[in-house]
Amino acid sequence: MRRTLDAIYAAAGWAAALSILFIATIVTVQVALNALARVAGPNWSMTIPSYADFAGFALAAATFLALAPTLRAGVHIRVNLLIRRLGRKPARLLELPILALAAVTSGYASWYAGVILWESWKYGDTSPGMVAVALWIPQTFMVAGLGLLTVALIDTLIETIRADGPVIRDAEET
Amino acid sequence: MSDPAIFGILLTVLIALLAGGLWVALSLLVMALTAMMFFTNAPAGLVLATTLWGHSHSWPLAALPLFILMGEILLRSRLSDDMFSGLAPWLTRAPGRLLHVNILGCAIFAAVSGSSAATAATIGKMSVPELKARGYPESLILGTLAGSATLGLLIPPSIILIVYGVATEQSIARLFVAGILPGAMLVGLFGGYVAIRHFADPDLIPGEAGQYTLREKLVAARRLIPVFLLIAGVIGSIYTGIASPTDAAAVGVLLSIVLAVSGGSFGLSDFREALLGATFTSCMIAFILLGAAYLSIAMGFTGIPRNLATWIGTFELGRYGLLAVLMVFFVILGCFLDGISLVVLTTSIILPMVEAQGIDPLWFGIFLVLVVEMSQITPPVGFNLFVIQGLTGIDILRVARAALPFFLLLLLGAVLITVFPGIVTVLPDAMGG
Repeated sequence: MRRTLDAIYAAAGWAAALSILFIATIVTVQVALNALARVAGPNWSMTIPSYADFAGFALAAATFLALAPTLRAGVHIRVNLLIRRLGRKPARLLELPILALAAVTSGYASWYAGVILWESWKYGDTSPGMVAVALWIPQTFMVAGLGLLTVALIDTLIETIRADGPVIRDAEET
Repeated sequence: MSDPAIFGILLTVLIALLAGGLWVALSLLVMALTAMMFFTNAPAGLVLATTLWGHSHSWPLAALPLFILMGEILLRSRLSDDMFSGLAPWLTRAPGRLLHVNILGCAIFAAVSGSSAATAATIGKMSVPELKARGYPESLILGTLAGSATLGLLIPPSIILIVYGVATEQSIARLFVAGILPGAMLVGLFGGYVAIRHFADPDLIPGEAGQYTLREKLVAARRLIPVFLLIAGVIGSIYTGIASPTDAAAVGVLLSIVLAVSGGSFGLSDFREALLGATFTSCMIAFILLGAAYLSIAMGFTGIPRNLATWIGTFELGRYGLLAVLMVFFVILGCFLDGISLVVLTTSIILPMVEAQGIDPLWFGIFLVLVVEMSQITPPVGFNLFVIQGLTGIDILRVARAALPFFLLLLLGAVLITVFPGIVTVLPDAMGG
């Protein structure tokens, strides 16, 4: 179970990283095409259809898919003045309701993200660009990412209940 | 219930959540949900989902992960090693001598990286041991490092200006350009302070043996020159309008890979680390931005910011009075919150009252970043202080005391751009469009 979950978080993190690499690539290629058109004349001007839309969707996918691995890596920012000053036992007592509240909020967001995904699918909503992308496709990444964040928060909550102190080490402490 | 009471309740909720250690992005979401569910009739969940979706896939925001990636790549290149040896020969005769390596090194690194903590860590790793070994006074080594590293927030490409631009729908290109002169002004103020300290007490700064010919200086700096070209290319293409910030960032990523690989000791595993690090940092910031976007909309439904603006208007503080009050407020808040959270809270709640006073939001963005810079070097939560404590093992309060003169210089900088707003606006106005 532990290993499966960690593998899923890692896979989501790499999928997000590849999305960012995709943005860098598609934008660089378009800049090169613009440069070519400037040098070789307007006959050579080419545009990757809807490249700005694709870059945007890739950004959304990267952000949502990375939510859970970023949490587990301790990179999401929080004010940890209090938690760090408490001993391990009291810190754990404070961490439990915080994690529960976080999981409920994230679950609530996942549910309604699912609702708008369902509506996009039902009404066949598409993006307005040259290439009309069916919106449910990129929105699936939002639902998946938020869902995985909820799982990661519940996972962390259970770990914290079993452990004798907070489980997540915030990155800036190291 | 009256508006001030509702606002008080919401603010209390936010402070309790933040202090309890709930992640900032989620704290903003919970505060916004509380406002939506209890004080409006809007469908909280549906508005939440459409906001999360609508604000997550914008083209200007795509510059964020790319600029972070560019910084992460250069961070792992040999650039930091080259910074000291490349700059030092040029500065041995300047008043204040090699302390300027800290200031200029930070300014240069700030121009390729958007993060002040990364700037402090990268430059400090090389310069602190070198300067200590040469007998420079500790307070000035730490102070110049802590102070100058905050330039990372102001000198473009700046992550925090992207955040401000996206949150307030300002042009990121114009914000970047607006940051150039104030950034240069701060470099001047910091350098001037070090020079004055040297003149006031010539024994304070150890002498530097050795003279360098121009040829030797150029040889020492040869690996820094491509970095200068990269910076000039990125900022120049944005300024002239050839490229949008997102375009410039993508090309910057490619060029920084070329630079890092040609410098040697940058392999595939470094690239993977840089990519994953950039992915996580960018996700953390984007999540806070999403939380702030929902908070802005929730606050809009409650009408609180508009009424708050009217209420503040009745005090007739005027422009300067309001800015002074806000500055004190931000510096206190900045003792506990990081810069990005400070900016998004401002844009969701305070911006309407600023605009109601006729203050230009472009100018206010730069002012806000200057204040956030101050907050980076104030205890107990000052990210640069943490980094320098980690780097040197010197207690955070001692670092904070060393940074105090630079805090005051930042304050002077904020006063200067308030009295002479042209420092901020002249370059973006010249851009046109």
